[in-house]
Amino acid sequence: MVETSITTSGLGHAYGSVVALHSLDLAVPSGRTGLVGANGAGKTTLIKILLGILAPTTGTATVLGMDSKRETIDIRSVVGYMPEGPCLPLEQTAADFLVYAAGTAGLPKRAARQRASDVLTLVGLHEERFRYLGDFSTGMKQRAKLAQAIVHDPELVFLDEPTSGLDPSGREEMLDLITRLGSYGIDVVVSSHVLRDIERTCDWVVMLDKGTLLHEGPIGGSRSDGTVHLELISDPKPVESALLQGGATVTMQGRLLEVTVEHGDVFELVRDAVVHTGSSIRTLDSSSGSLEEMFLHHGATQ
Amino acid sequence: MTDSTSTTRQQGAVYDLGYQPFEGERTGRSGARKTVYFDGIRRVLGLRRKAKRKVMPWALLLVAIIPPIVAVGIAFFIPAGASESIDLAGQNSAFFTLAGTIAMLFTALAAPELLIPDRKDGVLSMLASRPLTTADYLGSRFASLATVIGAFMIVPQLVLFFGQAGTHPEGLFSGMVHATHTLPKIAAAAAVYTIAFGPLGFVIASLSKRKSVATAGYLAVMIALTAFAEAVVRGSNIAGGRWVALLAPINTADAANVWIFGESNPDSLLAAANIHPAIGIAALIVSGAALSMFALHRYRRLA
Repeated sequence: MVETSITTSGLGHAYGSVVALHSLDLAVPSGRTGLVGANGAGKTTLIKILLGILAPTTGTATVLGMDSKRETIDIRSVVGYMPEGPCLPLEQTAADFLVYAAGTAGLPKRAARQRASDVLTLVGLHEERFRYLGDFSTGMKQRAKLAQAIVHDPELVFLDEPTSGLDPSGREEMLDLITRLGSYGIDVVVSSHVLRDIERTCDWVVMLDKGTLLHEGPIGGSRSDGTVHLELISDPKPVESALLQGGATVTMQGRLLEVTVEHGDVFELVRDAVVHTGSSIRTLDSSSGSLEEMFLHHGATQ
Repeated sequence: MTDSTSTTRQQGAVYDLGYQPFEGERTGRSGARKTVYFDGIRRVLGLRRKAKRKVMPWALLLVAIIPPIVAVGIAFFIPAGASESIDLAGQNSAFFTLAGTIAMLFTALAAPELLIPDRKDGVLSMLASRPLTTADYLGSRFASLATVIGAFMIVPQLVLFFGQAGTHPEGLFSGMVHATHTLPKIAAAAAVYTIAFGPLGFVIASLSKRKSVATAGYLAVMIALTAFAEAVVRGSNIAGGRWVALLAPINTADAANVWIFGESNPDSLLAAANIHPAIGIAALIVSGAALSMFALHRYRRLA
């Protein structure tokens, strides 16, 4: 596996007179990468260029060390793609479709059957493998879409809005699956406009806005700003006092507290304050704000 | 079982095998093409699909195959020379013409089935991430269609072939040797019908969003082309109007089929237009190539 899974240099694309990507320079490392941006930011265009579906108007891109324009077929043999829109033949069973998907990725027939069975188990559809895809619920369809993207054991998989249309529990399961892909040695690029999903699953982020690069970097680094948001069930006053005594800066709105520390671990300080006062927590959230704030910050400075 | 064996034997255990990476050989582009090809054959025959998808293709295949079976049956039971007897050796082109009509109906159903669901259900976006080009996809799908059209044309002919061999006075083997010369003609005639029917079916399917519309549109175009060519060639005196005969794929393929089997049909449209069937075959090849290029262009725009 290469250290850098994706690189782009001056990459641009225009649909006629509409410029979708402006001179993008990226160096995405192996691992799980989030591609974030509002609708129309250029996320899907970027993925399509990397897959060789669209040709760049300017610049170059490499995927796993291969040129996206000249080595398209080689790239497609070792990457997977879960499109945002529908991609399932409704009149086929899940098992037949997965065997077909594996075959179209170049797996021999016997291996395709075995992989289809394994991957359907992995995404939790083994019991449903003989049902027609047209009879699947939205959550099951999303899992089947993920299954077709990984059935050929790709080195890198692009997931375009994988949690789109899912209910909260389905979303959690999908995010768990995505996190597990990284542990199987598959590099993942998750495109989403839901920042919380990216924070939950990825360790690198690429932020796009109107086709331009806002920011690229590790997510872990972005969230170590020492700020958490805390919502209490019990009276927040004692906790506020304990936190202030511990040297934190606290902003309180009703039962919501924003806690910031200059030095030390903010989580340990919150834990000690809650235990010391015997209070009850409804939510403790460090991540919802940080990536979002980062996105807004970078957007404002452009 | 000894005690030592029973003590070393494990009780039931569940192993979490986790994720198993694939370490075998990948077949790449050629494997992908083959997969799309075989999927196309299964799809047009309704195999591994709901029961209603099997009805039409298999009914048409039966309609194509029953007449030669009946002819062979008659040839077996009624001795040659009797007034009701059938000379199987002269039946090839007649059964090709019948099978050709059925193959056209089959193409009207199969071409939309091969292309439209992939667009409608979004499967093209999945295939776009596979080691396939647009030409690979369309070529594999066309090969599926050609294979099944070929089967429609060839299976009834094989029934006739073995019927001829079986009723040969010198026995089955001698009969097969005697009838072998018809095999390349059968293959050539089947190829002509495939080129005449397939590319137009693909173009119409590439332009339609609904299978029923594509089927009806294909049949309407086929009938309209025949009617137009008949009217111009037989009913008008337009200078150079005779070349319009080449616009009618059904008539051109039928005339070519008769010619391939060494027969002649003075009533055919090509004969009326005084055009040699070989020119008709060339026209079918050129128009088939042009229509294929159009379908390819259309699909490149869809990527």
